Amino acid sequence: MKVSPPLDRRFRLIAFDWEVAARTDDATAVCGPIDRLLRCGVTVVVVTAAPLDAIGSRFSRAISGRQKRNLFLATNRGAEVYGFDEALEPTLVWDDANAEAGGVGRAESPTWFLRGLAERSDIRPEEILVVSDDTESFTREAAPVRDDDPGAAPGGPVFVSVGPGPGGVPGILHLGGEPRLIGELLGAQAALHPVRLPATPEQDAEWVIVEDGFVPTREHEVESLFAIGNGFVGSRGSLAEGSPLSAPATFVAGIFDASPDTMPALARAPDWTHLTASLNGSRVGLDASESLEHRRVLDMRQGILWRLWRHRDRAGRVSHIQGMRLASLADRHLLLQSIAITPENYSEMMTLEIPALGRPEPIRMASGATLDLFAATRIEDPEGKWTPPPLDHERDGASEQWAIELELGRTYRLDRIAGVRTSRESYRTGTARDEVRDAYDDGLAAIVDAHRTAWQTRWDASDIVIDGDADAQRALRFAAYHLISAANPEDEFVSIGARALTGPAYKGHAFWDTEIFMLPFFTLTYPEAARALLMYRYHTLSAARARAKRFGYRGALYAWESADTGEDVTPSMVVAPTGDVIRILVGEEEHHISADVAYGVWSYWHSTADEQFLLRAGAEMLVETARFWASRVERGADGLHHIRRVIGPDEYHESVDDNAYTNGMAQWNLEIAAEVSALVAERWPERWNELSRRVGMESDEPREWRDIAAHMYTGLDPKTGLFEQFHGYFGLERIDLAAYEPRSVPMDVLLGRERTQKSQVIKQADVVMLVYLLWDRFPAWIREANFRYYEPRTGHGSSLSPPIHATVAARLGDVELAQRYLRETAAIDLANRMGNAAGGVHAGTLGGLWQAVAFGFAGLTLPAEGPRLAPSLPDAWRRLRFAIQWRGQRVPIDVSQGPPARGPTAEVSS
Amino acid sequence: MTRRVVSVPLDGSDQALVAMPVARRLAELEGAVLHVIHVASAISPLADVIERIGLSAAELQGAVLDAKAGDPASGIIEAASERHSMFIVMCTHTGAAADTIVGRTALAVLRDAPCPVILVRPQRGVAPWMLKQVLLPHDSTPTTSATIGPAADLARKAGAELVVLHVADASGRLPDEHGSLPTSRYADQPQHEWPEWVKEFLDRLSCVCPLHALKVRLTLASGAPSEEVPRAAAGLAADLIVLAWRGEWGDDRAETVKAAIRGATCPVMVLRVRP
Repeated sequence: MKVSPPLDRRFRLIAFDWEVAARTDDATAVCGPIDRLLRCGVTVVVVTAAPLDAIGSRFSRAISGRQKRNLFLATNRGAEVYGFDEALEPTLVWDDANAEAGGVGRAESPTWFLRGLAERSDIRPEEILVVSDDTESFTREAAPVRDDDPGAAPGGPVFVSVGPGPGGVPGILHLGGEPRLIGELLGAQAALHPVRLPATPEQDAEWVIVEDGFVPTREHEVESLFAIGNGFVGSRGSLAEGSPLSAPATFVAGIFDASPDTMPALARAPDWTHLTASLNGSRVGLDASESLEHRRVLDMRQGILWRLWRHRDRAGRVSHIQGMRLASLADRHLLLQSIAITPENYSEMMTLEIPALGRPEPIRMASGATLDLFAATRIEDPEGKWTPPPLDHERDGASEQWAIELELGRTYRLDRIAGVRTSRESYRTGTARDEVRDAYDDGLAAIVDAHRTAWQTRWDASDIVIDGDADAQRALRFAAYHLISAANPEDEFVSIGARALTGPAYKGHAFWDTEIFMLPFFTLTYPEAARALLMYRYHTLSAARARAKRFGYRGALYAWESADTGEDVTPSMVVAPTGDVIRILVGEEEHHISADVAYGVWSYWHSTADEQFLLRAGAEMLVETARFWASRVERGADGLHHIRRVIGPDEYHESVDDNAYTNGMAQWNLEIAAEVSALVAERWPERWNELSRRVGMESDEPREWRDIAAHMYTGLDPKTGLFEQFHGYFGLERIDLAAYEPRSVPMDVLLGRERTQKSQVIKQADVVMLVYLLWDRFPAWIREANFRYYEPRTGHGSSLSPPIHATVAARLGDVELAQRYLRETAAIDLANRMGNAAGGVHAGTLGGLWQAVAFGFAGLTLPAEGPRLAPSLPDAWRRLRFAIQWRGQRVPIDVSQGPPARGPTAEVSS
Repeated sequence: MTRRVVSVPLDGSDQALVAMPVARRLAELEGAVLHVIHVASAISPLADVIERIGLSAAELQGAVLDAKAGDPASGIIEAASERHSMFIVMCTHTGAAADTIVGRTALAVLRDAPCPVILVRPQRGVAPWMLKQVLLPHDSTPTTSATIGPAADLARKAGAELVVLHVADASGRLPDEHGSLPTSRYADQPQHEWPEWVKEFLDRLSCVCPLHALKVRLTLASGAPSEEVPRAAAGLAADLIVLAWRGEWGDDRAETVKAAIRGATCPVMVLRVRP
């Protein structure tokens, strides 16, 4: 139907007379355009003389998704109006009683309803279209809306009659006496809403990471950086059609399988994103065509991966392709991919081959866990007609085959929804297939809206705004994006692996990275997620107890590398590419992990005052870690307690005695456990008694902990204020690290392991880390002295080192040095020529980046009386704003660059 | 169908003959015809040419002799181009001083050869040549990955091991090219980082050339590539070094190529690459 003004514009509210449509040969034909309009967010009101029973069933069959909530049925000529509730069941929203209450006669009732509906939905009068054939009743119904002949006047509703002839009513547009015109008119309106993706990309450059072009060998990095995730499932940003280096992978938190080296590794779920497209037999692919434009955009604000691709194949056919992909943050079991394709200069048959995912039985892992993944595709043609997704057949190993006759200049859309379920979610009924079916019923718009809202909620809580440094701003958002994508407050049985769910490296194993580097972000912006992460440690406490026992100690020794059970899964050796066989001792000796977990527990409790957590889990973890240290120390001839044969954060030096970090953190762990024990015993004596009984606590244990802590060897030289990093460190060879700059390898590779171990070269912040974590325990001169001593000796062979140095340098007011370390930290994943991120993003480093800004540049500290700031802003940073959660309250923080003489001004709002 | 050809230029000197065992073995591996190229200032009778190049009739069995007149380098390149030669195998230098890295003719051939050039030092002599270890130094750039195809192909046909050597440059220079994979300053947990780095490096190579049905390993050294490549070749007893060359030969350029040719006892295949 060719439409002319005023019908050539999009209306947001359309009311029409069902009886007219029902006189056509195929009344249900209007349901297609109505469905499309509803999906596009158009409100449709069907006016009918029939009762609900008669009309409702017709629409129930034809329109079944969440778009139905935009539909209203005005039955009995508007005496009652029904909408559809959350369960998509009809519900009365308007009847004569409403009309009478408003002083409106029955005949005017529908019109009043339309007016109210328009106002509620912020629909302007000119966005309303009313179609009927009964011009008399039409006019009567419409009159109250039309104050002064608005149908004919610009800026008012449009009234259309398809009745037998002009009735002489002013302001009515007569289209002639063909009932079928209603269907055509609705179809024309639907066509004015072109096929498009269910969201639009973010345009603000500070909210996006962009990859233009295509460098095949860089693909693994791009896949990691552009991964999507929601803490339950993560999917790498692989090309849907693949490339020679594509390594698509979808990981589900907590679902481990045996890897070739027998250590458990996160299992790879089947690739739900893959499709093979061909034009007249010619495969569509980056390596099989000329890319006129290729851009991938990580839209961090909306949590959506976008792709724009214009390609010309060897036959000269130019296609415009736009795609989006998300892992729903609102419903973590859903993944969605939507692709729109427009043939720019050709009409041709396109075939699509898409792996059919959905086995009759879930995939069973070596661990016994099962994974159920189901995905189904549907296609929308330019008329808005859907080919429904194949939801019902079994599809083990088969492919979905699609053939689409593409028409030049018109847009077609492919939607693919995947549902993921695992055996770990015993609380959830149904299958992955049910997830997908429900999702299609709800409609993509609803899924995307809920997802975007969920991201907005997270950003409201987590965003750090830096005015004046776009690179730092983007890097901070990148960090927050991946941290948010890694966390799931609903799951207490998983932690976050070193590469989160973005890549296969580190096999999904969790380290101290979680508690020391990532947890502060969650504790202060997403406490529910922080709690879940700590509960993972609680649920693995029995494995930690068994591990301590195996080593001959009491209490809990957490695994250096932890997967699903909490048992240690650290490999025992590795063959380096230099040919050296390296025995890995961290699994046996890096015991500070127990104090790190305790630090996470206490920090969470301190910042949230979450009594339920403390009583259910936190206190027990503090007790058991303290018990470990009490049994781990050895009393020396000097009367002090020593911790021997350990590895500190500086993993270049193995089997050392009295590592300052380990001893210092153990000392703190013992003290804080005693303090918390006293607190619980005093405030919740019954809970304390119950805990004491359960863990076999002896009454004098807290006193013993205090005593050990008071006599812990710390390595502190009171004259210089320096901690000796471990016994004998000061006597090792000093190596001028600056002489090796610039370099592209870790220092232990340059020097060799043996020489490194005999030198003062440090892998990462060790004493500096101790000073940072226990900041208030040391006077300023000791903090400064240790940083200045150890910083030049640190080789930063770990990506966790630069962010801590950035933080401490900023706290010490050395902004220039802090900025340098901040840039180094940001570059670890985002620099595009290092390849660091190929196996996944560095989740711990990203947490460290956030700490560098919050705890470093803003100078945030958290004494018991409340958050305090001591900012040191780089010159270019005009303003720094963010918010934290402090004991149930949102606390906005605003730091501005003040006059040079005054320095930054800071404000903590309560 | 074009016949597969391996070209070996012989100028009549004893040194030039060191290329023969290598060329002959390569021809065997490739199922190619050995094409002997002799370029002199003037055309001579064939018998004179055969006598001049110093090969017996038995040694020429199965080979094709192609005599040309003119500039030696131009003649070699022209002949190799005409025959779609797979490789040119030649001595690094014949008449030049013993400490010469590459003679004038060999250098001119390197610059404009239509195919990889395999250079053999005179010191190697004419002992039979076997291919059991192929050393492929690789600076991690996609450009250098152009060498993986010929290297992998030869190694596969010979049943040889392909050893990819990455030298972490002690100068700290990082390649500017996108898609490069230099070693990182960070090795958070070596038990994970090193296997991942090796896998990633080899994945990127296999993206250019599939590495299936091939014994391949990656090894890492640190230092100056010009020192480490000959050292690794000696340590591995490599039979062939395959190197990318970006086409510049002046002072401070092509240091690794020069060092490999000068320092290694095995032949060096030079493949000109363009970023």
